[in-house]
Amino acid sequence: MHTELEQGERLAALLRSLPEQTLGPYDWSEFRRRAHERAALGQRIGEGRRVAAVVVIAVAVCAGAIRWVESGPRPAAPPAAAPRVDEASAERYLASLPHEPAVVRVGTRAAVATLEDHIALVDDLLSAERVERAPPARLLALQHERSELISSLVQVRYAEALADESR
Amino acid sequence: MTRLADITVPEEVRARACAGDDAARQAIYAAVAPATFALVRRMIGYRAASEDVFQDTMMIFYERLADFRQEAPLGAWLRQIAISRCLMHLRSPWRRVRACLEGQGPDATPPGAALVSPALPPETLDVERALATLAPTARAVVWMYEVEGYSHAEIARAFGRSVSFSKSQLARAHLRLRAWFEPEGSRPTCILS
Repeated sequence: MHTELEQGERLAALLRSLPEQTLGPYDWSEFRRRAHERAALGQRIGEGRRVAAVVVIAVAVCAGAIRWVESGPRPAAPPAAAPRVDEASAERYLASLPHEPAVVRVGTRAAVATLEDHIALVDDLLSAERVERAPPARLLALQHERSELISSLVQVRYAEALADESR
Repeated sequence: MTRLADITVPEEVRARACAGDDAARQAIYAAVAPATFALVRRMIGYRAASEDVFQDTMMIFYERLADFRQEAPLGAWLRQIAISRCLMHLRSPWRRVRACLEGQGPDATPPGAALVSPALPPETLDVERALATLAPTARAVVWMYEVEGYSHAEIARAFGRSVSFSKSQLARAHLRLRAWFEPEGSRPTCILS
């Protein structure tokens, strides 16, 4: 009759006895091909970010123009103060917004989704780097990247809010 | 057979790899990739997801190779990166969303075949099959505790959960594995395709 402890130890021994090198990965050339593919994808993401910035500016300009046309030569004050760039207040501002804008525009929605994806990715990276005790410079760089993304997201959402207000 | 944590690489090869020498990088890949992939695959389960995490691990490994301080064997350092990437994958909200979209719960058991290599001897095959019946999180906890030597506190920290989470995951996984190995017990179905 085996005790629970003995059974646990037997189980652990069985697991430890599993060979480490039987499940082969792909070869070096395939690894390099995939690495290049990922680098290209990273580049496309960078371009996507630039497109998002252009969309933000375009939406803001349109919203401003609509507001100008509707309210005559003296535009009314904006619905809220432009969000500041520091991260804590930016996050508070984002939390205060409705999850979806009153009018969903495909262009800005895509930009918002892309930015939110990137923020989640950077969050994941940050927690992994902290677990691995990465050098402070790397953590700082990621934190900086996160702040920039949050700031971009605030700008897009603010432009959306302006556009909604001007309807 | 050399375990990942014991794999070392001559300093001269590492230095050449850091300098961008393709042959040196390839030599290191040949030495560490099989054990790294085996570790990732046992923790993740699904082949496609394992390949993604493995690719990620190896790319980070090469990016940071110059930072390696030789306080431990190179394999042990790589193992840390691999485990951390696996945990990141398991915690990822995208994995959960994808699992739900594919009609499985986030902790669904991957198909048994995902972990099983047909080239294994029968007794090993059975352990692999038993392991494959566990949900990804439970399997990762079992592997980290029993094989990699992590403590419950370390596992809890890695998952961002409590120590009792780690203990209960391990206890439930043990029950399931024991049921698998008990001849008269109710053996859980292993979905081998």
